[in-house]
Amino acid sequence: MGLTEYQVVGRHLPTENEPNPKIYRMRIFAPNEVVAKSRFWYFLRQLKKVKKANGEIIGVNVIHEKRPLKVKNFGIWIRYDSRSGTHNMYKEFRELTRADAVKSLYQDMAARHRARFRSIHILRVVEVEKTEDIRRPYIKQLLEPGLRFPLPHRVGKARSTFVAHRPSTF
Amino acid sequence: MPLDSNFTRFVEVGRVVLLKTGPYAGHIAVIAEIIDHNRAIIDGPTTGVPRQAFPYRHLTLTSLAVPKLPRSAGSGTVKKYVEEAGTVAKWESSAWAKRRAAAEKRRTLSDFERFQVMIHKKSRRDKVRKAVKAAKA
Amino acid sequence: MARKELVPGIGRLSRSQVYARRQLYKGKKTGTAPAKPEAAPTKEVQVKGSKNGGSRLVPTSKAPRYYPAEDVPKPKQSRKTAKPTKLRDSITPGTVLILLAGRFRGKRVVFLKQLESGLLLVTGPYKVNGVPLRRVNQAYVIATSTKIELGDFKADVKYNDSYFSKSEKKRTRSAEDEFFEDGKPKEKESFPESKVADQREVDKVVLAAVKKTEYLAKYLKASWGLSKGEYPHQLVF
Repeated sequence: MGLTEYQVVGRHLPTENEPNPKIYRMRIFAPNEVVAKSRFWYFLRQLKKVKKANGEIIGVNVIHEKRPLKVKNFGIWIRYDSRSGTHNMYKEFRELTRADAVKSLYQDMAARHRARFRSIHILRVVEVEKTEDIRRPYIKQLLEPGLRFPLPHRVGKARSTFVAHRPSTF
Repeated sequence: MPLDSNFTRFVEVGRVVLLKTGPYAGHIAVIAEIIDHNRAIIDGPTTGVPRQAFPYRHLTLTSLAVPKLPRSAGSGTVKKYVEEAGTVAKWESSAWAKRRAAAEKRRTLSDFERFQVMIHKKSRRDKVRKAVKAAKA
Repeated sequence: MARKELVPGIGRLSRSQVYARRQLYKGKKTGTAPAKPEAAPTKEVQVKGSKNGGSRLVPTSKAPRYYPAEDVPKPKQSRKTAKPTKLRDSITPGTVLILLAGRFRGKRVVFLKQLESGLLLVTGPYKVNGVPLRRVNQAYVIATSTKIELGDFKADVKYNDSYFSKSEKKRTRSAEDEFFEDGKPKEKESFPESKVADQREVDKVVLAAVKKTEYLAKYLKASWGLSKGEYPHQLVF
C-alpha cells in the first residue's frame, strides 16, 4: 500500500485571551487522511502547547506530484528510535514521486533496522537536483553517463516439465 | 563505461523491450530512462504504450536499440528517434516478431480454418515424403 | 399414504414411490365408478319416553366431532411460466455446429431452425456425415463461426416437435413378449419412405450450398476432437 502526501492545517481553538490563534501547517506522509490528521496532532503536541482536545483541523489537502513521470533523486533526513537510542539519518532514493521515496524509505528502514512506522519521523524530503550533490554511492552509480548493464540469469517459464533444450539464462 | 562483455543485450537508454505482462503485453517500447536496478521508464509513442515505470521482471530485452537516444527524452523526442531509426519496421521484420505474429494468427483461427491448415499440412507432408523417396532412389 | 404430507406441499413419499405403491405401472385406471344412489340427509327416529315428543329427525351421517381449529396452509400456487428458450446469438440458420453428446457426438452438422420446444433442428447433411434430420439441445453443442450460405431457404413448417416424436403404441404385454411373438425376433421396421424423401429434399439445398466452398464437405465429414495440449476454453471456434 502506498503513501500519500497531505497538507494538514490546524490551530488552537480561539479563547478569550487569544481570539486569533496561530495557524500551523504540516506536510505529512500517511496512508490515508485519518492517519494524516492523527500524525498532525502527534507532531503538534510535541512542538507546541496544542492538543486535539483543545484544537481544530482547518483543512486536509492532498499534495500531488508535479511531474510524476520524471525520475528524481530525493534526499531524506529522518529521526529514528532504535532499540537502544535515537539517531538521525540521511538517506537517498531514486524515485518518481516524493511519496514513493518516503514509502521506499520506510521499506528500507524496516529491512535494515527492523524499524516500524511509529519509530520513524520524517524530518525533511528534498529533491537533489545536481549530480555533484549526491552523497551516497548507491545512487551515484545510477547517474553515470552511458549507464548500461545486462540482466543476467533470467529464468524463463518452461512450457512443460520436460523440454529438449536447456534454457538460456541471459 | 562500455567494457568488453559477453552479453549483447543491456538495460540502457534506447533499448527496445518487449512487454510480457500488463495491459500492453506483447507490445514493444523503448527504455527512456533507467530508474534503478529493478525498474525503468519505458515509452512507446508509436506502439500505443504510454510512458510509465516498468519493472525489468515483466519485460524482455530485444536485440534492437534506438541509437543515440538522449537520456530522459520526452515522448515527442522518443517518437522522432524511433521513427528515424525505423525501429518498429525492424522489429516487425525480425524472425522473433514474425514467429509471435504467426503463433497469434494460429491461435485465433476458427475451427474450419484449423481444419484447412491440417489439410494443407497433410498435403505438404505427402509431397515432401514423395520427393525424398524419389531423391533417394 | 402419499397424500399424507410432511409439511404442506411436500408429500411423505417421492413421486416414484407413489408410482410404485399405486401400481401405476399397470397402466392408468380409466372408466368411472357406477353412480351410487343418493342417501337421504336425515331419517326419523322413534324416541322413547313420554316427554321426548315421540319422533325426531336425525342426520344419517353424524357431523364430525373434530373441527380443525387452525387452518392448514395450502401451498402457494406458482404463477411463474417458463419463458421460451433463447437461441444463442452465435447460432443462425446455416451455422455449423459441433455436437457434444449423444449418438452423433463429435460430428459437425448444419443448423436449420429452432423448434417450438427450444431444441435445434439440424442435419448432417445425411449424405456427408450420416447425421439425419435431428433435434438437439443447444446446451450440448458448440457453435462455430463457420456459416453456410443457405440464402432464403426456410425449413418447412412440418418439421416440428411432433414430426420427431415416436408414435404412441398401446402395449398390452411386456416388450419382450411382443418382440418374440412368433418364437423368433421381430422384423425391424423399415424407415418411413416419406422421411427419406424429406431428408433428401432438405439436404439438396444444404449440399448445394456446401459445395460452393472448398473443403467444406470434407470438414463436415470429419469429426471434431481435442488433441494433446488443446483446451476448449482456449480455442476459437
